[in-house]
Amino acid sequence: MDGDSSTTDASQLGITGEYMASGHYVLQPQDDDGEENMNDHEDGGTKENYREQDIYLPIANVARIMKNAVPQTGKIAKDAKECVQECVSEFISFITSEASERCHQEKRKTINGEDILFAMSTLGFDMYVDPLKLYLQKFREAMKGEKGIAGVAVGESLGEDLTEDSFTNQLPTGIITDGQQQNVMVYTTSYQQIPTVQQIQFS
Amino acid sequence: MAQTNPGKDSQASEAKKLISLPTSRVRLIMKSSPDVSSINQDALFLTTKATELFVQHLALTSFNNGSGREANSLDYSDLAKTAEETDTFHFLTDILPKKILARDYLESLEQLQDEDADF
Repeated sequence: MDGDSSTTDASQLGITGEYMASGHYVLQPQDDDGEENMNDHEDGGTKENYREQDIYLPIANVARIMKNAVPQTGKIAKDAKECVQECVSEFISFITSEASERCHQEKRKTINGEDILFAMSTLGFDMYVDPLKLYLQKFREAMKGEKGIAGVAVGESLGEDLTEDSFTNQLPTGIITDGQQQNVMVYTTSYQQIPTVQQIQFS
Repeated sequence: MAQTNPGKDSQASEAKKLISLPTSRVRLIMKSSPDVSSINQDALFLTTKATELFVQHLALTSFNNGSGREANSLDYSDLAKTAEETDTFHFLTDILPKKILARDYLESLEQLQDEDADF
């Protein structure tokens, strides 16, 4: 019996339908020989070489948010973190294309806050809308008097490095429920600016 | 000017405390959607914040919905299950296929071929 079973060639494996996701067959890692297609790029490659679905938010940030969302003693598998990282990009694209469509219909070129909120509502995330409006209010208050700040300035300096500091609740928060009588507490985390930008891998 | 402007600085840091994800990266992902020309400041902020809410929402829902095999944990299969069963997360089903080991799949393929061979 040959042990060399790790091929991702879909035609060889005769995979169709349910196991295919955007042309990839997802294998559980049996041996770590880079079968996963995460961040598939040449070293030093430019962003233009990324396909849309290859751009992700830093896993450290994502993992931290997940960790704070579940009960303290809960464990999160590594593949779950990576998976949510991908889901996040999907979510952003999902919202953006809906918002963009509305924008075009109204003959506008710039996607604004209303477009985003409307998209959320349309796509089944209307439970986020009210908390988001609160946050937007706070954001606008905080930015008042700051001239010429592109929104990107907020968070431009948000590095990818996180420390194990405690978090403080900055705001009274909106509560979102998952529709099953469970309350998901929404809160903000305090953030410290770190001079060097590094990626932390949570194992 | 030698004087500092503490009011202005604290405003900026107040704003930064509102989110814990890099807006520049969020913007990059947004711009990779077709036909997106520009995104205003509010839209970027809202999307970034919504993304945080989304992560919390998805993580907690999946954790609670868990397959029960491992009570106090969240793994890939919990996420895949949640995507299938929860309307809100249904858009994720394409990118959350159920995983199997290649070894197991090939074994079952071989079994099928053996059965076909009995003609």
